[in-house]
Amino acid sequence: MKITCEDARPLVPSYLDGELAEVQASPLRTHLLDCPACRETAKEGKILQRWFEPDPSAVKVPPGFAARVARRAFAGDPGVLVPEPPAVRPRRALLPFLLVATAVAAALLFVLAVAIQRQSLPTGNGLGATDAPPPWLDAPPADANPAPAPTAR
Amino acid sequence: MITMHELAREDVQLVEETLAGNPLSFQLLVERYQERIFALVRHYAKSAVEVEDIAQDTFLKAYRRLETFQRQSSFSTWLYRIAVNTALDFLKRTGRSPVQAVEDPELSASPVRGQAGSGVAITAPDAHLRKEEIARITHEVLGELPEIFRTVLVLREFEDMPYQQMAEVLGISIGTIESRLFRARARFKEAMIRLHPEFATPD
Repeated sequence: MKITCEDARPLVPSYLDGELAEVQASPLRTHLLDCPACRETAKEGKILQRWFEPDPSAVKVPPGFAARVARRAFAGDPGVLVPEPPAVRPRRALLPFLLVATAVAAALLFVLAVAIQRQSLPTGNGLGATDAPPPWLDAPPADANPAPAPTAR
Repeated sequence: MITMHELAREDVQLVEETLAGNPLSFQLLVERYQERIFALVRHYAKSAVEVEDIAQDTFLKAYRRLETFQRQSSFSTWLYRIAVNTALDFLKRTGRSPVQAVEDPELSASPVRGQAGSGVAITAPDAHLRKEEIARITHEVLGELPEIFRTVLVLREFEDMPYQQMAEVLGISIGTIESRLFRARARFKEAMIRLHPEFATPD
């Protein structure tokens, strides 16, 4: 199967990384043999890879490193660079406190509301209302026996 | 010869023994991976002391989180993820974090794969350059790249990591790995030409 440059070029990086399935790699190889432009693309990719050689002067693991790390780990050492942030804890504690405070406040309000309601209700078995006229209706009117008017001399 | 599968099984065994309270098993785990972790984190550090500090913190973090290790991925993948995050945390804490990548390859509308003509090309390292010198130049150029590009180049080019494992370490898709690698390589070439124009070649 033949492929075009347009099909081939996107495949070149994966091909160089060894990530291309054979079903795609095979036609690409054929295309690279025939196409100088795509071959140049592949060559550039290979040149770039040559800059990533292992460094012989890289930092070596110091003797006893593993034993030291294991000892520190089991001693509960959190490390020197990125300790667990302690500032997070107070914030975490704030939410439960607010929830409890809100619940307590709500309960107090409820108790208060019930108490007020009970106080305003009438006491006794009945409702407290009778058919008898109110007491002020039994009393004689204020002007029933008016005082005699003074006589004229 | 020990196969990858056997290695992974031995790792899990050592993890379980460590969780059971055996310090020697954890020491063996560290010994297995210390070379690779040192090699990885040195690309984020400027001195041997920093390399050792980041590597040590990586293992201490791994120990503290060992109970959260799911056997779905390999121990090495899990450890690499911790190492990369520890190194990036270190860069942030030291204020050495280079410019963040503004372009997110996943959000980028333009196709990125296969755009061979990025406008720049570099030559191969001179034959007379010693390996140490090549490594120093590469380290310098990598230091100019945003973290996300530096990390994919390090994992791919130095650690020879397959795309699938890179995707697991970084928690992104293989498609994103491909596009990010493409951009990282283009940025590497640009930075190389800016810092070392003697290695530029007409594209």
